[in-house]
Amino acid sequence: MSDQGSKSVNGAGLQRLTLIRIALRLLWRDWRGGELKLLLFAMIMAVTSVSGIALFTDRLERALLQESANMLAADRVLSGRTQPPREWLQEAESRGLQTAEFVAFASMVFSDQGNMLVSAKAVSDAYPLRGELQVADRPFGPPYVSDQGGPEPGEVWVESRILPALGAEVGDSIYLGDAEFVVSRVLVQEPDRQQGGMMENAGPRLLMHLEDVPATNIIQPGSRLTYRYLFAGDQAALETFADWLQSQPENGFRLSDVRDESQEVAEALGRAESFLMLGSLFAVLLAGIAIALTARRYSERHFDYAAILKTIGCTAGQISAIYFVILAALLVLAVVLGSVLGWLVHEAILMALASVIPIQLPEASFLPYTIGAATALICLFAFALPPLLALKHISPLRVLRKDLDDSHLSTRLPYALGLAGALVLILWYSQDLLISAILVAAVAGVAVTLGLLSLLLLRSGSAVGMRAGSASMLAMSAVRRRRRQSVLQVLVFSLTIMSLLTLALLRTDLIRDWQAQLPENTPNHFMMNITESQVDGMEAFLAQRDIATNAFYPMMTAGLVSVNGEPPRNPWDDDDDEGQQNLTERSGQLNEMSPQDGQSADAQSEGEEGERERVINRQVTYTDSLPPDNQIVAGEWWSGADIAGQVSVEDDYASRLGVSLGDELVFRVGEDEVTVTVTSMRSVRWDNMQPNFFFIFSPGTLDYLGATYLSTLLLEGEEKLQLNELLRQFPTIVVLEVDALIEQIQTIIAQVSSAIELIAVLVLLSGALVLLACVNATLDERFRENAILRTLGAGRRLILNALLLEFAFIGLLAGLIATIGAELSLYYLQTQVFGQDFRLHYWVWFAGPLAGTIIIAALGVNATRRVVNTSPLAVLRQLTV
Amino acid sequence: MTAILEARHLAKQVSTSEGQLVILKDINLSIEPAETVAIVGASGSGKSTLLGLMAGLDTASSGDMLLDGDNLSAMNEDERAIIRGQSVGFVFQSFQLLPSLTALENVMLPIELKNDSDARGKAARLLQRVGLESRLHHYPNQLSGGEQQRVAIARAFASEARILFADEPTGNLDTATGAKVIDLLFSLNAEFSTTLVLVTHDDRLAARCKRVIRLVAGDITEDSRHE
Repeated sequence: MSDQGSKSVNGAGLQRLTLIRIALRLLWRDWRGGELKLLLFAMIMAVTSVSGIALFTDRLERALLQESANMLAADRVLSGRTQPPREWLQEAESRGLQTAEFVAFASMVFSDQGNMLVSAKAVSDAYPLRGELQVADRPFGPPYVSDQGGPEPGEVWVESRILPALGAEVGDSIYLGDAEFVVSRVLVQEPDRQQGGMMENAGPRLLMHLEDVPATNIIQPGSRLTYRYLFAGDQAALETFADWLQSQPENGFRLSDVRDESQEVAEALGRAESFLMLGSLFAVLLAGIAIALTARRYSERHFDYAAILKTIGCTAGQISAIYFVILAALLVLAVVLGSVLGWLVHEAILMALASVIPIQLPEASFLPYTIGAATALICLFAFALPPLLALKHISPLRVLRKDLDDSHLSTRLPYALGLAGALVLILWYSQDLLISAILVAAVAGVAVTLGLLSLLLLRSGSAVGMRAGSASMLAMSAVRRRRRQSVLQVLVFSLTIMSLLTLALLRTDLIRDWQAQLPENTPNHFMMNITESQVDGMEAFLAQRDIATNAFYPMMTAGLVSVNGEPPRNPWDDDDDEGQQNLTERSGQLNEMSPQDGQSADAQSEGEEGERERVINRQVTYTDSLPPDNQIVAGEWWSGADIAGQVSVEDDYASRLGVSLGDELVFRVGEDEVTVTVTSMRSVRWDNMQPNFFFIFSPGTLDYLGATYLSTLLLEGEEKLQLNELLRQFPTIVVLEVDALIEQIQTIIAQVSSAIELIAVLVLLSGALVLLACVNATLDERFRENAILRTLGAGRRLILNALLLEFAFIGLLAGLIATIGAELSLYYLQTQVFGQDFRLHYWVWFAGPLAGTIIIAALGVNATRRVVNTSPLAVLRQLTV
Repeated sequence: MTAILEARHLAKQVSTSEGQLVILKDINLSIEPAETVAIVGASGSGKSTLLGLMAGLDTASSGDMLLDGDNLSAMNEDERAIIRGQSVGFVFQSFQLLPSLTALENVMLPIELKNDSDARGKAARLLQRVGLESRLHHYPNQLSGGEQQRVAIARAFASEARILFADEPTGNLDTATGAKVIDLLFSLNAEFSTTLVLVTHDDRLAARCKRVIRLVAGDITEDSRHE
């Protein structure tokens, strides 16, 4: 031992450089030999899919937000019924925000030949802050983007159908209040046309300059106006400004972004974000599994390497260092190549989507690349490092004893590390405990199911010998002999197929839901304030012009006074939500302020809390047939005679009110009080842009109280001109135009749907990689076994059939487990995250196992075909060297 | 002369499902520098195990194994690896070349691990010495068995080892090739004055060694020297 100290010092003195050189040489040779290709591909795939998806979602999200900001003409809007303090605009400007403002009101506009109710909007110079104004030079002429903001002082821009109604042309003068204006352009579209209160949308739009408002003398004390301040700028400044606004004593003003303004858009965006996130989660998980599998195989193939290196003097630390360098080099390579590929992938996605994403996408931030690199790093440490670091434990004795079994090393690998890594990745990506929990539970569920199934199926017979008599016996004995590997394979295949099924089904359901929400011919105009005597005339008018009519719903305001004798509970107590401002409710407000009755009603439909009692005002209807998209979830819809005195309540609203079946409700309609019994609960699709009601009464209950009617129309393009004629014949009705809003939502949904398709394809690619890696992972043993079988005289056909059956069995098992897992995770994802209804996908119960069988069998046989095409001697020699 | 290898009461047992299996029992022997020793015996007699213990590839159940004065039994795996790198060379039946490295790189490896800046030159000269100067950049699978074993021999001498262990060096070779490889091994051994310990079934190979140790069921039954 005397000179061991100096020897150790000498040994430890090995320069790092030498080790790095050896490592890089091994890396280069292994790469040329094909050993590393699958591992590198798996890592590149992880970086590519993650950075590609992240880049795409980053840009798409910004684009969607921008597009939705266009719907507001700003990033944030402050609205109120009185003018907000002007200092607030200055405050915003001092914080670097852009500002604009407008005031909107309904008014009559006159010409020498006619008059019309218009919704006027007087805008400042900077309007719009987001989006653009589209104008034309003549009514229904080709639109182009206005090169200025709104009209100059003294000029107005009007929507096409105002001109024929007034008998005027572009260039003519018209009158608004006391002022005279020149019509300088035709207004085709304004970004925020559909936003805000009904006063802004009560008729065709007239756009004027804010400076001209005083000259009209329209605004008098008590006038019904909407004031809006618009703000745009960077996110941080917007947020600090919002905080500052909140600290101001004034209230009654509301600062909102597009999510507050449009529930429909908010929902589409929210679901798309969840889906994209889920898609990248699956992609990362699958890439992680592929990395783990390929790293493990690489490590097993390096058992001999490590043993030889040890015999010629490498210490465990040096072996770890060598493989660490190899992995680090792979990491750098994977990050660089993966980022470039990710960029290309996202560009390809964008090119493919060019037709549905016409808007200019904002540049991506650097974050997606960081996410890609971090993913590779985590995958590497969690999945690839453990099997390679285990190489230092290889016994050098292996060089003398070929039979030395080091396979325990790879099965004893710290899987906990991989598991922890996967959890970190999931949480980091989703930032969402619910989705993480569902995903982890799904994986755990599959693992447990698998454990039980494999116990049942794989232990059903003893595994003595190879049972080489028939292909099926040979296949089953192979599955049993490699029980541990078989279970691992089924696990990996199940998880992969489950991910793919979940994503594919979710995609299909989401897109189908959206299509159902706003089908092709969704009515895009609401007609309101129709008197009973006008209904027949209107139906005739529309029939003459081949315009399809829809149901006419009687509508009136009814105030809920008591529930079983008690005052009603405030249904929105538990949050700040102002209530579901669905189109019907908005129409109701409009109805009440329509010029016909000239009454001023509080447009606040909600929570009018008097000093003595609370009355909840709602727009209600009565009908004998259940409206489309409504479903009875409890009780029964009325039928037959003598059905008066019943009410059907929207399910969610009923639970907010604490109302159940059989309860007695008292409503006040005008001066009358009506007592009704709750006989059914309905689910309602609020996002379908159709008349929807919280309360529907049975016929015979409210009929005698007199109602106005509400109906919808589908008018496209120049058909809209018919509106003028309709309004001329029925001047008292009010038409609410939601065509632009529906179109905007449909555009967003189309973009989001395409994005979802592409993410699904990317995940599919990751999945294919995993399947390939998993099949490859057991190649060596199959090669050896089948070479031996062939030297013993087994025919090619027998071996091929056995391989086919073995993989088919594993595929069938995996497909079955995957289907169960997918349906279960879908149930939770759809009901908890995506707010959808869950339905079993019956066909998947056939398609899942069948696809599993066919795909795994094909992949497996393809990968192992060499088993029967290589000479047995070559196989045995290659594997023993 | 001080022994370069010395076994004192060396024993090796392993646990099997049928109880303790004794592979080597109470081995005592000592090998002088530059000696050529053949360890012979039937399959399962424990010769490869003995080779593994002497070379520090494995640890004994009891007893001491001294290599150049260092007690391998008292060292951990890393310390033994350093000793192997400095003093020991190997030639194996199945060659044990790294398949992804060329002949030259395989021979360079132990020299590089010693931090020698002239690894390439030394490796090339050794390969020339074993007659493979035209095969420097071939991969193991592009070489015949005899050629692979010659690369392995070059690698064994590359680390300037004082002791060379050979495990059935001709086991995978035909007789003629085997004979050539053995000629090479012995001539290099003489040239470098290395101690050579080889395990073999081959009596003719054993006969070329100056000392033959015969193992039967883990016991030394014969230890003969001849000139």
